Amino acid sequence: MEILHDVTFNIQITKHTFCNYQLKIDDKVMSLTFPQLLQLRNKVQALTSLDSLENIIQNENFVLLFIADRKHLVFLDIPKLIDLKEELGYCFSEF
Amino acid sequence: MKTAIRRQMTIHPEVMDVLNDQIALEMHASASYLAMASWCDQRELLNSKAFFYKQAEEEREHGMKIFNFINDAGGAAISPAIPVVNNDFESLKAIYETSLDQEIGVTQSIYKCFSKARSVNDFASEVFLQWFVNEQVEEEDTVRSILDVFELMGDMPLKMIDERLPTE
Repeated sequence: MEILHDVTFNIQITKHTFCNYQLKIDDKVMSLTFPQLLQLRNKVQALTSLDSLENIIQNENFVLLFIADRKHLVFLDIPKLIDLKEELGYCFSEF
Repeated sequence: MKTAIRRQMTIHPEVMDVLNDQIALEMHASASYLAMASWCDQRELLNSKAFFYKQAEEEREHGMKIFNFINDAGGAAISPAIPVVNNDFESLKAIYETSLDQEIGVTQSIYKCFSKARSVNDFASEVFLQWFVNEQVEEEDTVRSILDVFELMGDMPLKMIDERLPTE
């Protein structure tokens, strides 16, 4: 666990204030309210269903995702999309 | 992050997901009943049309009840997309049989939600879902009673059967 202190993840969600979260994707840092975080979780779950992933791979092979009530637009390739799903899963697993 | 999400919402995220699926199912059932009501309405089957219009309303109310619960519990209710609804039926009896199958499907899905709530110790959702468990027993029984009438009056004209169907 000590080693993890020096590791920086490409995608990270951190709690900023009581109802404010920060999502970092590479160098981009976005501030999200809790409803916006729930919305993102819902979008990412829909995008990472088996059918949807297959559809993305067979077409553009990336997704453009609006985040935080369309304040931000991010480009995600498949590995990044799956990383984001995992990070959200981790965030909500601590219920 | 420990407890951060819990401070924002009472409902467990996994229960929220299955309840959102349940909303979609209830709304689809409502749309499906509307199609059945229209079929009966066009054929002047007055009791059946009233029954299915009422069912359509009830299913929507069920969906809305879950919708409000999710939002009240700090989650995010999702307005569902309604997939294709069948408007083509072969007989009144077939409609009621479809209706029973649909109710059984809804019951099974409620059980799935209940079971999920229990498995993650989301007691608030479990108690909320108890009403639906009881309601589904009633719903299934109502349709079964109607199908019994069809069994008893199998050879009678359609309009005559419709007139003898229970209206409440």
